[in-house]
Amino acid sequence: MLMTDIKPGKQAVITDLTKLDKLAHKRLLDLGVYEGETIRLLASFPFGGPYLFEVSGQRIGIRRFDAGRIGVEG
Amino acid sequence: MTMEVALFGNPNTGKTSLFNMLTGSCEFIGNWNGVTVEKKIGHLKNHLGTLVDLPGIYALSPLSKDESVAASFLLKNTFTMAVNIVDASQLLRNFQLTIELLEFGKPVIIGLNMVDVAKHKGMIIDHEKLSGLLHVPVIPIVARTGRGCRLIQSAMEPGSSDNQEYFKLNYGHVIEKAIQKLNVLFENEKMDRRWLAIQYLLNNQVVVDYLNKRMEMTEAESVVHDVSDYLKIKNPHLTVSQWIRQKRKAYIEEIISAAVQTQASSKPDWSDKLDMIVTHKILGIPLFLIILYLIFHVTFYWIGNPLSDLLNSFFSGPLTDWTGKALEWLGVMPFIRDVILNGIIAGVGGVLVFVPQIFVLFFFISWIEDSGYMARVALIMDRIMQLAGLNGKAFIPLVIGFGCNIPGIMAARSIEQPRERLITILITPLMSCSARLTVFSLFAGIFFTHYQALVVLSLYVLSIVIAMIMARVFSLFMKNEQSVFVVELPPYHIPDIRTILRGTWEKARGFVKKATTFILGGTVMIWLLSYAGPEGIHVRIDQSYLALICMAIAPIVGPIGFGTWQAASGLITGFLAKEAVVSTFAVVYHGTGSGTLTQALSSAFTPLQAYSFMVFLLLYTPCISTVPNIKREAGSVKLTLFTIGYSMLLAYTVSFVVFHIGRLLGFQ
Repeated sequence: MLMTDIKPGKQAVITDLTKLDKLAHKRLLDLGVYEGETIRLLASFPFGGPYLFEVSGQRIGIRRFDAGRIGVEG
Repeated sequence: MTMEVALFGNPNTGKTSLFNMLTGSCEFIGNWNGVTVEKKIGHLKNHLGTLVDLPGIYALSPLSKDESVAASFLLKNTFTMAVNIVDASQLLRNFQLTIELLEFGKPVIIGLNMVDVAKHKGMIIDHEKLSGLLHVPVIPIVARTGRGCRLIQSAMEPGSSDNQEYFKLNYGHVIEKAIQKLNVLFENEKMDRRWLAIQYLLNNQVVVDYLNKRMEMTEAESVVHDVSDYLKIKNPHLTVSQWIRQKRKAYIEEIISAAVQTQASSKPDWSDKLDMIVTHKILGIPLFLIILYLIFHVTFYWIGNPLSDLLNSFFSGPLTDWTGKALEWLGVMPFIRDVILNGIIAGVGGVLVFVPQIFVLFFFISWIEDSGYMARVALIMDRIMQLAGLNGKAFIPLVIGFGCNIPGIMAARSIEQPRERLITILITPLMSCSARLTVFSLFAGIFFTHYQALVVLSLYVLSIVIAMIMARVFSLFMKNEQSVFVVELPPYHIPDIRTILRGTWEKARGFVKKATTFILGGTVMIWLLSYAGPEGIHVRIDQSYLALICMAIAPIVGPIGFGTWQAASGLITGFLAKEAVVSTFAVVYHGTGSGTLTQALSSAFTPLQAYSFMVFLLLYTPCISTVPNIKREAGSVKLTLFTIGYSMLLAYTVSFVVFHIGRLLGFQ
């Protein structure tokens, strides 16, 4: 499943970041978002807005477009 | 010998706080990583030399322009040692940069910041053990209060880093072989060649460009090709940089498990709870607007205006009287006396009375920057900014532009994509800066007494809306490129009043300086032009050179509501500095009528004309200090001239529409 399929408040483990475009991929790695990390979805904003999630104690916002390219397992 | 110390760290780790603590200088502090955009140098308190503050970065390979500063700095290789500030609660991420610094081979001191936050998250860090494993000093600090900064200073003393061991992390057989080959190819380079080889393998664009300029790179390129081909066989998605990153990660995890004890994390802190409201998917944006409104309300009604009135009555009352008497007693000739009383005191004084509003507004902007709220604003505004072809991060330069357009334009450096960065630079001059605020305060105070905060807020909202529309228009003409938006929400800080006051002063002192330098000069010039005319000096003001020049312009601005030469004169000096409009009006209306500036203005404009004038002034051109910054950041004279031209046309169109719709609706 994809990150966009997670319900707010629920957790999942990242399984695939390779479909992301290069810039977004590198920035997420910089922030410590790796495959195998557990994330918790905090919110998704209306009208196709960004996704806010928590990973190892920090909060990160990304676009729905990118969230739809992150493979997870819940 | 004096030494040069360089300060590195991830964004939002308290780097600028540490800089201030070590140098004791009044540098600017912000949570948003676009704030530290220029190279800043301070003198170390312990008199050992200087400290260079570098923009916050996650890794030496840059994604944006401000991030490339750090890699270029390392390549210049002039510094003596590096101080690396590290967020103790995010060691896994922060140490990626630390490793790259250690590999560079210069002495490193690690400042372990936010140990308290880490403790709250259930992490107990043995800093002595860390120090032993990394072979460099690791010093726990609280950068915001200055605790531990002494120890960093003493670790800088010459001799204390002599026994630092050379750091070498093994990246595995294949990579190590490639490093060796590159090492040979780079033999003429003076810096650490292993570091250079690793950065080249990581495809750090700054390093690649640097090497390309210095030598033939065909052989080095084929070395990289061989390695990446080899890795692709193992895993089609694996790149060299990912391999290196994974090796580093494994090493960091090893260190952390040896030196950090993790207990079950405690309950959510107040930062989490606050975020539930502030980044609420529906309430987020209204809340932001309410906060902006409250800021304006406090700025005007509660603090700014009462203080302004006091200053104003002092300038126009006692100060003018005393100076007049003193000048008379000294026997100064009437011409000079007029320059001082009617030119300088009336003009510059007219600008200086707005110092309270400017300080209060900058106080709030500094507070927002320091608190961590900016990143939340970027998040909640991203969807709207996307409509304009930008991302949420572009909203930050716009908000900073409310204080002054110049730092706003510079803050655009933290935007990763060149196209979005350029558009942000082009629209930031439309933001209603604090200099325009002086004019709005004056006009709103006279014409919209009961709706002051609302009228001023409407102008701010207008500037944002127009900026969004223009961004959309510009993006139609530019090559489409993939947009990226990844934003980190740092933990909230309890506002540190010292930090905020420093930030306020840093920003507001430019305003005071401007008022006493070239607004003073401009005002005197305007006064002279209004004093002299074709028929000699001391002419009636409507016979003066100023009136003659401005009468030629007046018919052009007639259709948008204010076709008098006095209004036109304000627009000319407004190009020098927007607040010079106030001092110019003080001079020209002082000469024409009797009574105060307020009385003169309220008979010269109707409320609708006044509003149209404010709209025009809001948009019509970046001021003369902003223009060189646009040129530097956009890198083109053509685009700079274009910015002036389009904003002029835009201002005319919008004022025309506002004025005529207003008339149709029956406003005066």
